[in-house]
Amino acid sequence: MKIIDSAKRAGRSLRSAKGRTILTSLAIAVGAFTLTAALAAGTGARQYADKLITSNVDPQSVFVAKDETLFGGGAPGAGGLKEYSENATQFGGATFKALDQNDIETLEKISGVEKVVPTYLVTAQYVVFEGSETRYTTDITAYDPSVRADTAAGSLPELGRQIGERDVVIPESFAETLGRKPSEMIGKTVTVRVQRAIVPPSDQEIQAAFLSGGATAVEKLVSAESRDEVFTISAVSAKSSTTFSASAALFISDFAAQELSNYITEGTDQYQKYITATVVVKEGVEPTEVKKAAEDAGIVARTAQDLQDLLFTIVNTIQGIVVVFGVLALVASIFGIINTQYISVLERTREIGLMKALGMRGRHVSRLFQYEAAWIGFLGGTLGALVAWGVGTALNPTISELLTIGENRILVFEPIPIVGLVFALMLIAMIAGWFPARKAAKLDPIDALRTE
Amino acid sequence: MEEMIEVVALSKVYGKKDHEFMALDDVTFHVPSGSSVAIVGKSGSGKSTLMHIMSGLDHPSKGAVIVDGDDISSLKQKALDTFRAEKIGFIFQSFFVQANESCYNNVALPLEITHVSGAERKKRVLAALKQVELDDKVQQKAKNLSGGQKQRLAIARAIVNKPSIIFADEPTGNLDSTTGEKIEDLLFSFNKKIGSTLVIVTHDADLAAKCDMQVEMKDGKVTRVTKTKPQTQTPSRRKVI
Repeated sequence: MKIIDSAKRAGRSLRSAKGRTILTSLAIAVGAFTLTAALAAGTGARQYADKLITSNVDPQSVFVAKDETLFGGGAPGAGGLKEYSENATQFGGATFKALDQNDIETLEKISGVEKVVPTYLVTAQYVVFEGSETRYTTDITAYDPSVRADTAAGSLPELGRQIGERDVVIPESFAETLGRKPSEMIGKTVTVRVQRAIVPPSDQEIQAAFLSGGATAVEKLVSAESRDEVFTISAVSAKSSTTFSASAALFISDFAAQELSNYITEGTDQYQKYITATVVVKEGVEPTEVKKAAEDAGIVARTAQDLQDLLFTIVNTIQGIVVVFGVLALVASIFGIINTQYISVLERTREIGLMKALGMRGRHVSRLFQYEAAWIGFLGGTLGALVAWGVGTALNPTISELLTIGENRILVFEPIPIVGLVFALMLIAMIAGWFPARKAAKLDPIDALRTE
Repeated sequence: MEEMIEVVALSKVYGKKDHEFMALDDVTFHVPSGSSVAIVGKSGSGKSTLMHIMSGLDHPSKGAVIVDGDDISSLKQKALDTFRAEKIGFIFQSFFVQANESCYNNVALPLEITHVSGAERKKRVLAALKQVELDDKVQQKAKNLSGGQKQRLAIARAIVNKPSIIFADEPTGNLDSTTGEKIEDLLFSFNKKIGSTLVIVTHDADLAAKCDMQVEMKDGKVTRVTKTKPQTQTPSRRKVI
């Protein structure tokens, strides 16, 4: 019997038992649905992660820190005791080993390093926008010249160039808070009030101050010194769901950031200590080589690739969990197929006997039942995949909105893996159909025909 | 006269040792090519077992069945399947048509098994259906046919491969006498027209009397072989395969 004839007969026999066929297929469809959704979510999440990395991270940069906990390996400030270190610094209540000037110099000496940009911590007491009396609080960060954000107004320097020393870039959301159009903000000033950290004065200092200026001098000595810095808005960055640089912070030049950071921390143990820094690697030099040299010097380093791998690992793990559920649903459906096909064999004992009497070979009889199972797999697989695709496409905008990732789609359906999945399901169904099919193949035609 | 089937010292034993049961005991007879034979006997006489072995569905314990010069009792399973597919047509008491298949696909089954495809398959199926006067029911499902129509469908399926031998096991047993007679006429007409040797297993004496030859069986033994009609010279049988 030819394969095409077997496949046609198998298809017709399924059609004559529609209810049973549909119910058995539905079991597979559940598995197919879950797996298709998992595939789509994995693809979408990887694409999104990829976009995040490429739009935020210069592939030529290496991120360095002194403290291993910053890059995974335990949440920062997690419980447990930490060894005391000269370089340990308190940041936001958590203790980190920080990079000091020596470390920065060590990094600068590594061959292939273009420059080392420490992450300056600038904590403003408040900021005031021109034309407004309200004092706002905000994070202040150094502008990252390796990533170019989209602007809603104004202009940014070309890639790799810093903004002007007195320039500031604000996110679009700030303009919204102020009730202004982004274009209206250009050229306006932002006053940043920074406060120098209080260094507890020694007894001698207090005595000396008292002797020279009395109580007022002592009060001045222990009170916080502060200053105002005025910046001019040169650009307003557009909202984006992929670029972190569009997050709610003021961006100032690295020079200004360094200056302010030094002003704030001078005299404290945080002075010229940095939790992290970015090493920019020269074009044509592998970031991994710099990473290795840095790690040899006792500095923890991660390349852009490492960050991507980390994100992908997270995505893959989550996807893996969903896949396991899909596979479990499939395992259940396999038993469904075996059961259905056993019943089918029993119901059609005489028909099998007839076919064998007419000279059909045992393995061709077996093939007939396996093809039936394959059809069930095909139907269920296609149904599940189509429903997943339809529902996924319909829900995508809602999901994106919930995750606030803008126009990015978390479910990305690719035809080739889906077709592959359907084929795999047909194969699995055929394997499941093998047990009942073997029973059919082994039937003795005389016994089978005697059955009334 | 050429012999189509030679049954030589055939025995069939069921069970083992203490529980042995001799279904066939040293059965020998010859069936001339193109003739019609009735195997008669009460139930339990061994006539069904004999038919199963003669048609290659079962293996004898001893003896041989020689069909058209070949000893089928020594054939391997695969060769036996091919033998049945190419040379044998079957008709059963309870029809055994595929209820959910159309008439066309019922008749096409033997051709699918023997790899006859395309235009040739279609031509032969339609011709066979026309011969049993079911050409107006080609796409009808077999389950919608009456008993007589089902048996005619079974006959179409039996003759579509132009077999050398047609085995009919109580072909009229489930039919009323009028319909039964029509079926009998149809069977004998094919026996004469296409020259297929016809072997009918029956306990109906009237049907048996219409055959060229009767083999009477009792307790696994052949008790009498009669030839009712003088052997008419059958028209030269159409060469099969």
